[in-house]
Amino acid sequence: MEVTMDPLFLAWSYFRRRKFQQCADICTKLLQDGPYDQAAWSLKTRAFTEMVYIDETEVDQEGIAELMLDESSIAQVARPGTSLRLPGTSQGGGPTQAVRPMTQSGRPITGFVRPSTQSGRPGTMEQAIKTPRTASTARPVTGATGRFIRLGTASMLTNPDGPFINLSRLNLAKYSQKPHLSRTLFEYIFHHENDIKNALDLAAQATEHAQFKDWWWKVQLGKCYYRLGLYREAEKQFRSALNHQEVVDTYLYLAKVYQRLDQPITALNLFKQGLDHFPGEVTLLTGIARIHEEMNNITSATEYYKDVLKQDNTHVEAIACIGSNHFYTDQPEIALRFYRRLLQMGVYNCQLYNNLGLCCFYAQQYDMTLSSFERALALVASDEEQADVWYNIGHVAVGIGDLTLAYQCFKLALAFNNDHAEAYNNLAVLELRKGRVEQSKAFLQTAASLAPHMYEPHFNLSILSDKIGDLQSSYTAAQKSEDAFPEHVDTQQLLKLLREHFAAL
Amino acid sequence: MPEVKSIFREVLPKQGQLSMEDVPTMILCKPKLLPLKSVTLEKLEKMQMEAQEAVKQQELAMKEQSL
Repeated sequence: MEVTMDPLFLAWSYFRRRKFQQCADICTKLLQDGPYDQAAWSLKTRAFTEMVYIDETEVDQEGIAELMLDESSIAQVARPGTSLRLPGTSQGGGPTQAVRPMTQSGRPITGFVRPSTQSGRPGTMEQAIKTPRTASTARPVTGATGRFIRLGTASMLTNPDGPFINLSRLNLAKYSQKPHLSRTLFEYIFHHENDIKNALDLAAQATEHAQFKDWWWKVQLGKCYYRLGLYREAEKQFRSALNHQEVVDTYLYLAKVYQRLDQPITALNLFKQGLDHFPGEVTLLTGIARIHEEMNNITSATEYYKDVLKQDNTHVEAIACIGSNHFYTDQPEIALRFYRRLLQMGVYNCQLYNNLGLCCFYAQQYDMTLSSFERALALVASDEEQADVWYNIGHVAVGIGDLTLAYQCFKLALAFNNDHAEAYNNLAVLELRKGRVEQSKAFLQTAASLAPHMYEPHFNLSILSDKIGDLQSSYTAAQKSEDAFPEHVDTQQLLKLLREHFAAL
Repeated sequence: MPEVKSIFREVLPKQGQLSMEDVPTMILCKPKLLPLKSVTLEKLEKMQMEAQEAVKQQELAMKEQSL
């Protein structure tokens, strides 16, 4: 007779090797034989949770409803340097828009993108609704209709026998009494089912059962409140959890609450407090750097990213951010070293090769430029990425004076992403060189409507209108350019000139 | 080599005014470094893709059944 391994042991082994589907399959069989097998049940919930687990400290998604109908803000117009919502208020000596491109929310582009930085805060309702139509990252209407809920429903759809645990028939009170089952069940409900209300119920009953002495349940309660948008309640839970036990994660969650409440200074203080207890903790240092970066204080952000690298010299985010900062402060050769370091560490994707290509070109290492871009093109994952790579190749072509190639590159960028405003603008400049005024004007108008946050199309349109004698349009375009970039000298000169013209009339 | 004599001599106009006109020119948008993606973001996107695929497959299967 063949000796078989104990199925539960095998399931555990699969779980440890992160083969969650096999683990869940074995558990399903075990549960068919004995529906009351708690070990198998618990393991199956854990396997399902791990399949869709994402780091909750990293996840943050603001919907339009949360943005525009914000009840937690204290003042309509915050004082400079105290809010994340006024991007232009604190210039920390970083490069201006003339050198460093802006994202749609009016922040300089960063070297690293996280779920929470994907889409900044637009200023008006109109912009908020418009943004998803033009960017590759769509903003959900509210946080509740975002990515989480889609993932939750999808995980149910794929199971033909319906969900593994029927939450509506679950006796939460019973489970909350059993500490060995309640935690895995909670994580399952929170991560896999995304049913925050039930998760909150379970957590509330469990923390009561633990006589309000268990920090873990308090953190979970805080997480639920945060997801439900009850930030002050979440803050209370996290604070209380910190009184029981100092944990790095709790600091991160609490800082997330303060960032959502638009209190960056409080968040910074909290991080520093956390650093007193956990000196040199990388996640806390990164948190500080991110806040500085979001407040447009690139110089001090870079300082903190350097601190991060002193602790952990393989930190991808820190290397990427410092690299991009060097690139935009006119030191492409140093940026190149940072990106090369990332390559040595095994990062291998389209974005990295694109950045390497750009750095090589501007650091005058022409032999590597085109081969890097070729690799980037070979590694693209989406049309938007492809468009961006072609756009950058277009810049190389402009740099070597091959305007035909540049023209083709920008056209290709538009073929892959029809909303690429920068490509429209550059194409317009090339068209004007060929003497096609109408075509150029059309491209500029398209660019301006696609990306009202950029000053270049407005400024170019202003110059173009000025040249063909349409002073009124020139003036309105120049004003828009000034709105987008108040410090731009050429715009101001143009405006001054136009005002003189109008005064003379 | 500071002592090499150049055959070209600098010419500075002695008469009249030297003027330079600053003509505003069209500007290009700047080259764009692409931000790297965090592990969490990559996993989110991967899961979303997989979920979409799974839903598509199921819908296809449903259509075939109804036909």
